[in-house]
Amino acid sequence: MADESFDLVGCLERVRQRDQVASRQLVEHLYPLVIRIVRSHLPRRVAEEDLAQDIFLKMFTRLAQYQGNVPFPHWVSRIAVTTCIDQLRAQKRRPEFRWADLSENEADVLDAVLTDERDVTPGDALEARELVHKLLDQLKPNDRLVIQLLDLDQKTIAEISAETGWNQTLVKVRAFRARRKLQKLFQELQSKEKS
Amino acid sequence: MNQFDQQWRKLTALARQAGDTRAMSAPHGFATRVVARAGSRPQELAWAPFEYFALRGLMVAAAFGVMAVAFNFTNFVTSTQSDAYVSADTVDELLELS
Repeated sequence: MADESFDLVGCLERVRQRDQVASRQLVEHLYPLVIRIVRSHLPRRVAEEDLAQDIFLKMFTRLAQYQGNVPFPHWVSRIAVTTCIDQLRAQKRRPEFRWADLSENEADVLDAVLTDERDVTPGDALEARELVHKLLDQLKPNDRLVIQLLDLDQKTIAEISAETGWNQTLVKVRAFRARRKLQKLFQELQSKEKS
Repeated sequence: MNQFDQQWRKLTALARQAGDTRAMSAPHGFATRVVARAGSRPQELAWAPFEYFALRGLMVAAAFGVMAVAFNFTNFVTSTQSDAYVSADTVDELLELS
């Protein structure tokens, strides 16, 4: 969070009394948290600002439902996560992943990772990120989210559980299932490359 | 660790190095726009989730009710008809007795 000294409890109290200035402060305070989640799980063809706006609108309309059982940022991050997952589900069809869909640089990086014939360098980082996101696009939204948080954001199982509201066993099961699917994708890509 | 795990770790470690240089603060006017829109929307009350489930519960209960009637309709008709025969026989028996 950007500002640790921010009086969240006092601000929430004023927001409940329909204080517009406090509402704007709350949005600005929570924006980094929300935009990080949105950027991590941004569905294709959806503008990040539109999605962030939807999340904040849900936060305001559901504010009366917040009972204080979990920290407020966790409550907001759960709204953000479910909104992103709903958007990903709405897209329904995931395009089939083919070697030809990769740019030349992405194909080089994947080749280097799969075959170990050349070392990858920090200069390959951007292509690697694009490649990882293309691979994650092939997963179910919930599975994608777990892998994103676990392997890219390097969060612990407990942190993921707090952010998503899923219990730790469910997080582990989803991670296992997602990795198996990714493994299958890797094998398919390798066999397609050979053929 | 199997071969896939090694490959995946290598790829994600490299992807993490890309970082993210995009701004993390709200764009100018974003908060004002969101607050203005939120003000024009009705608030969801604390029991809104229960209303959502109650409506679905009512629909499921109605569906079960219709199914129960549909499955038991023939039994109901048959039992009514057999009752009519029973009473007719009883009357015959009474008449015969008299």
